[in-house]
Amino acid sequence: MADLLGIASSGLGAIQQALSTTGHNIANVNTEGYSRQIADFSTLPAQRVGDSYTGSGVEVGAVRRGYDSFVVGELRTRGSKLGMANAFESLASGLDSLVGDSDNGLAPALEGFFNSVQGVASDPGSLSARQILLSDAQILTDRFTQLNSSLLGFERDANNRITSAVGEINGLAANIAELNADITLALGSGGAPNDLLDQRDALLMQLSDKVGILTLEQSDGAVNVFVGKGQPLVVGGTAQQLEVVSSSIYPNRLEVGVAQPGGSTQIISQQISGGELQGVLDFRSRVLDPAISELGRVAVAMTDLVNAQHNLGMDLNGQLGGDFFSALSPTVIASANNSTTAPVATASLTIDSTSDLEATDYLLVYDGAQWGLTRTSDGAFFSDVAGNFALDGVTVSVGGTPAAGDTFLLRPVYGAAGQFGLELTAPDQLAAAGPVVSSQALSNSGSASVGELGVSSTVGLPLAGDITLSFNPDALGAGVPGFDVVGGPGGTIAFDPATESGGKTFTFAGSGGLSFTLSGIPNNGDVFTLSPNSGAPGDNRNALLLGSMQSQGLVDGSTATFGEAYSGMIGGVGVATRQAQANLQAEDSLMENAVAARERVSGVNLEQEAAELVRLQQAYQAAAQLVAIADTLFQTLLGATRR
Amino acid sequence: MTISTTQIFRQGINAILDQQEGLSRTQLQIASGKRIQTPSDDPSGAVKVIDIDEQIATAEQHLRNGQFARTELSLEEGAMTGAQNVLQRVRELMIQANNDTQSEETRQGIATEVRARRDELLALANARNASGEFLFAGFKTDNLPFSLSGGNVVYNGDQGQRRIQVGPSSLVPVSDSGVDVFQLIKTGNGTLSADNAGSNTGSGTVRSLSQNSSFVSDTYTLSFIQAAPTDPVTYEVRDSSAALVTAGSYVSGESIAFNGIAMAIEGVPANGDSFTASPAINQDVFTTLNNIIVALEAPSTELADNASFHNEMSEGLNNIDQALENFLRIRSNIGSRLNNLDSQSEVNENFLLRMKDAASQVQDLDYAEAISRLSAQATSLEAAQKVFIEVQGLSLFDFL
Repeated sequence: MADLLGIASSGLGAIQQALSTTGHNIANVNTEGYSRQIADFSTLPAQRVGDSYTGSGVEVGAVRRGYDSFVVGELRTRGSKLGMANAFESLASGLDSLVGDSDNGLAPALEGFFNSVQGVASDPGSLSARQILLSDAQILTDRFTQLNSSLLGFERDANNRITSAVGEINGLAANIAELNADITLALGSGGAPNDLLDQRDALLMQLSDKVGILTLEQSDGAVNVFVGKGQPLVVGGTAQQLEVVSSSIYPNRLEVGVAQPGGSTQIISQQISGGELQGVLDFRSRVLDPAISELGRVAVAMTDLVNAQHNLGMDLNGQLGGDFFSALSPTVIASANNSTTAPVATASLTIDSTSDLEATDYLLVYDGAQWGLTRTSDGAFFSDVAGNFALDGVTVSVGGTPAAGDTFLLRPVYGAAGQFGLELTAPDQLAAAGPVVSSQALSNSGSASVGELGVSSTVGLPLAGDITLSFNPDALGAGVPGFDVVGGPGGTIAFDPATESGGKTFTFAGSGGLSFTLSGIPNNGDVFTLSPNSGAPGDNRNALLLGSMQSQGLVDGSTATFGEAYSGMIGGVGVATRQAQANLQAEDSLMENAVAARERVSGVNLEQEAAELVRLQQAYQAAAQLVAIADTLFQTLLGATRR
Repeated sequence: MTISTTQIFRQGINAILDQQEGLSRTQLQIASGKRIQTPSDDPSGAVKVIDIDEQIATAEQHLRNGQFARTELSLEEGAMTGAQNVLQRVRELMIQANNDTQSEETRQGIATEVRARRDELLALANARNASGEFLFAGFKTDNLPFSLSGGNVVYNGDQGQRRIQVGPSSLVPVSDSGVDVFQLIKTGNGTLSADNAGSNTGSGTVRSLSQNSSFVSDTYTLSFIQAAPTDPVTYEVRDSSAALVTAGSYVSGESIAFNGIAMAIEGVPANGDSFTASPAINQDVFTTLNNIIVALEAPSTELADNASFHNEMSEGLNNIDQALENFLRIRSNIGSRLNNLDSQSEVNENFLLRMKDAASQVQDLDYAEAISRLSAQATSLEAAQKVFIEVQGLSLFDFL
């Protein structure tokens, strides 16, 4: 009888506990990271009565979580991939809409500039046409610098995200370490602390969103967390801190590091994989740097080539053209960690051909035996013992005595757009005219003429004086016709009217590289004069040459026009963003799958819990009935014995 | 398989959010009329649009350049028409003056008019365009190209010719230098020019002068010899080094041939009279007019004066014809440049049309497609919302 009551009360107690667990499940249906808990019933030890065993009731053996460590691990992996894709996509999309906004882009400013050059070419004497060109050149300048600073704004964005991500990582690591300690303690004194375990899983999930992690469960219940290539972040109850440090070589750029015993910091930016941190670092190296370099390359090529052509012209004051845009120079940055033992190593970078420049930086590193040069855009590696390199239109040379590990960052184009500036200040300084004019004497009786006058160098310009060419049938000896040249290089040039009347081109290298074509049949004594040009406001020859640069392949190994080089940059950003979007979409759906898999194992289904409530309620009613029956039995016994 | 309650909720909400995103994208496209909102929507298309926009801007600039070129050329053509009219009038006046019925006074009157015509031509040669630049000064457009200096006209410009870009590889000249138009004009018939010696006393005049392919270029002097008034008139021709080329008896009006040259003299040349036949040289049209004026104003009382006058007139007429020929050449050049401009601007217009069409195909929205997409997306969104409400409404707790 006492047994029956004992069995009934054990049932009531166990079922109440199970009801609480179900209630806990229902209450936590919306708790992030909560795992459904299940109360497992087990029988109490049976009593031996005579030959047989009689059951003695029920108890709740354990309350366990619906949990699959493989599913949770997969969820974390997906979480860090998604975090990376998310950060990359959000930065890339921002850049995408910046460069895609045609009103702020460089293309309309480039068109405006070249259209105004053509305007000057049509009406070279007009001061208003020249003034319009100057103001369009100023607009172009503003666009270059604005675009560059907008792009650099993304560098600051990246820095901010790195800083805040590292702050969050450190906070999460500290919390995980605390939970580790609590869990170890709880496990030591009994059953699994399900809710603490859930909390730790949730924090690990948040951490993997920021950075890819590797976890290792210890026998005492603690989880050790590693980042990068095995740098420990959490070991048992202690957390290691990540640090944000300024790059030793890239200006205004933050890197992620780990403090080392002894106070130094190990940079682990390169080793980080996954999470928001990698997304930001990848965006910086794969989208932002190329975009800034491409823009810089357009700026360098335009400055150099427009200046070179403008220098070959004559302005309204009869002076050779000065620089149109402010000259740009490449940047060389020595690492802050370079050896300071004199004579310190130095590196220099010169640009030989702007048309051949690549949109990239170069890293120059001395390994103790030789210099290695890495092109950062594609990772191509070159080495030379003496440290002399000539590639992609640049020449690299070194000086001093290098120590192993000395590093230089060489930037022929990166950021050059920020220095783009207008040098010309007054409309009369615009060199629209050619530096040399040709004329024929009125007394000429032959049909010869001079054409296709051009110059290629400022050496010998403006001409010191007239160069006269007089035809002489015996210029180069009896019967060998040609022109006697007075002024310039002097001497004679051979020209045979009988065979060369279709046109023969001559070049006077020392006189501005002056080239011209003589054609037709001159008579003895016919004279042509090549004179320095001045006072010719109607001359538009140099403006025409400047204007024709718009459609010439002058960038990227002479394959792209200025406009195409710029639109190539936009295409690059667009392609990268599109990839990032596709990648994010894929990661999103993979994440959905991982979440669904976890929900299947750990999620709370209210219908299921409702059914569980009904089941437990019925069991509880039955157990309560058992108490009543035990009571009835007892009363029956009392009644029988009272008499 | 158990599906958790949050998962059901999540799936429902995600379905609605996805549909909303698609809908808002379509809405943006329809509002802007552009298929490409940012380069990532279609990177190669976005690049193409930028490149096409540049081509369009360039073509439009070429069209503007063409219009400017047309204005310049029309101005020059107007000046050339005026110049031709001037020379035609001078030609008429000369033919009138060359008639022996003219008296010295009437010739003086004609001289005055020729002088006025010369000034008119000078004004035309100094014509300016709308922005005040001289048309015929070459590159030195702010220099008065032709000025009077001691009765002679001198040129102050240069021999430059401005060209304007009217197509990707098409440069059209829009000016001709004063040298080309007014100065590089050959004398005589363009190859040979005849002249009479100032000391001639007879009535001999040049009737004709021509050359054939065996012409040997040199200056030849034809002298007449008549030792006594009763002797027959003979002639001899010597070259520039005084070597005798040919000699014979003179017959008025009969052609004398030597070294590929045929020269005919008519009238009665006196002993010692001479004529030269020399390779044509360049002589500017103002010098030609000045010579004509001098000849018209010279007294012509004696026989020799008259012969000299006729010689000057026929020489002048030759030179005027050469000048007219040069003006005609310049005008036909202008005409062909204007034609070139027309065809080039047609090419540019067509190119512009094609480029705009291409740009539209790349970036513009297909409205029919977009609107049917919009309604499809709206339907899907509505369905997703309905399903969400239905599913969320089901709960076992309602029955407890």
